[in-house]
Amino acid sequence: MRFGVWGIVTLILYLAALVVVAELARRARRDASPADHFLAGRTLGTFVLFLTLYATAYSGNSLLGYPGAAYREGYSFIMATGFMMAIIVVFHLLVPRLRPLAIRHAFVTPGDYLELRFGGPWARPLRRAVAFLMVLALANFLLAQLKAMGDVASVVTDGRIPYAGGVIGLAAVILFYETRGGMRAVAWTDAAQGIAMVVGLAALFGWLLFEAGGLGEVTRAVAERRPAAVAIPSTTVCIRWMSTLVLMGLASVLYPQAIQRVFAARDGRSLKRSFAAMSFMPLVTTLVVTLIGVAAIARFEISEAVAADEVVPRLLHDWGSGGGIGSWAALLVFLGALSAIMSTADSCLLSLGSLLSRDLLGRGGRDAKATALGKRLAALILIATIPFALWRDLTLWRLIELKMELLIQCVPAFLIALHWSRLRAGPVFAGIVVGTLFSVGLTLNGVTLGGLHVGVAGCLLNAAIAVIGSLFGTGNEPEWVGLAEVPSVAAVLTRN
Amino acid sequence: MTRNRFRRGLHRACIALIALLYVFSIPWYRDGEAPLRIWFGLPDWVAVALFCYVAVAVLNAIAWSLVDVSDGSPEETGADADPRTRR
Repeated sequence: MRFGVWGIVTLILYLAALVVVAELARRARRDASPADHFLAGRTLGTFVLFLTLYATAYSGNSLLGYPGAAYREGYSFIMATGFMMAIIVVFHLLVPRLRPLAIRHAFVTPGDYLELRFGGPWARPLRRAVAFLMVLALANFLLAQLKAMGDVASVVTDGRIPYAGGVIGLAAVILFYETRGGMRAVAWTDAAQGIAMVVGLAALFGWLLFEAGGLGEVTRAVAERRPAAVAIPSTTVCIRWMSTLVLMGLASVLYPQAIQRVFAARDGRSLKRSFAAMSFMPLVTTLVVTLIGVAAIARFEISEAVAADEVVPRLLHDWGSGGGIGSWAALLVFLGALSAIMSTADSCLLSLGSLLSRDLLGRGGRDAKATALGKRLAALILIATIPFALWRDLTLWRLIELKMELLIQCVPAFLIALHWSRLRAGPVFAGIVVGTLFSVGLTLNGVTLGGLHVGVAGCLLNAAIAVIGSLFGTGNEPEWVGLAEVPSVAAVLTRN
Repeated sequence: MTRNRFRRGLHRACIALIALLYVFSIPWYRDGEAPLRIWFGLPDWVAVALFCYVAVAVLNAIAWSLVDVSDGSPEETGADADPRTRR
């Protein structure tokens, strides 16, 4: 593919636009408090909130990892459309209960909720344990984005920008605009990036269908080349399908950046409308990237699992090789993909800063100093992650699974605790430790449980310890009465 | 009151249907040796899963429209208790 000088010029113009947005966002800020920097002063309305939720949820994983997984697994990866929807279903358990508390008590991070919810001697260790898991998961997520940025920059520019150069250069741009503009810059750029992503994917998919002569022809060609990709899945794959729905549905709602967007919404109505609209986005994003990955099976052979993550860049390469309009269209998709990746990376970075300073180190101030500390810590994490991004032995999908297997261990502290007042900090802490050690131990030893994810099994163990320990434990932790402060589901429905 | 009960019932029905659709979307009940049949350009079991997910999206959007997300002011929640207080 030859974008020539126009590829570089377009990329520079795009990055310059991000810098301008960061400056505008900086001027729009009200003060230097953490709430203003990390939550945009809680002013996000329906449109921007929806697009920032969308651009954050659909990332480099969606654009490179999911087509790669669909290329490897075939049509059974249609499960991805289901699990992306399951996330919005599971938010029903979280949002109506957490949002009123968040506004009333001015939460900035998930740890602020834990501090309010749990008392007794185990409350602080619990907050730190949850923050530790979330930081690990976010660092992993950031790593996946950095790898994706390097891939896109390198393959699509035909090596003019080398993989390492793409990782380091684009990370520097993200660091700049996130530090300058905070959540406002992130949300505004997310809005533009979300639109670019949808348009780019639709164009790429349209080209693939046009080339192949329709979806039916794609399926027939895939069946001929690799029959297993269209065959009815085995029992093990079906178990894995269900396990993935549970893993992704439960763990993804606990992304700190997703929780922080619940805090950052202007009002409850904006939040509810955004989630209603988000229900449909897997159909125009996840489904499309899955079909792109499957369609690629008929076009080329990739033997190495890791290399399958380059399915989209290779397709763009093919598309752009024809020259003319194809080159320009491929260039636009390239920018859409890059923007999707960068929008997720910036959200990770923003959340990492606040999590590290407030939840892990316990610096809970609400002034400019606390904000500055968060920015510095985020920068340190970003720099520390770059060397790992240069190591390329894990597929993007495996990185996603590992991250989710950690995050799902936080389920009792949020999803159970918000609905059951007798849950205590001590048993929840014990459950997290046991569930995490169980999952990590089995993963490191290469133990598999049929199609079941070890993280899901660990979460079941973890939840059992938390619930049984709270029911029969002898600790002196008091029961939480704050649950009376949030409306029950029945009350929520009645108010309408 | 009847309207509220109806909304509550509808919300529960949506969530229950979503759960059923998820179970049905996975082809665990299909014979693995069945020959390839194409519906709407997709293998039939993929088309069924996709149909289920479209229905999940519609039901989930309806369910969100039935729930009010409060902004947590004391007047709205009707709560005066300090949540830090424990019994």
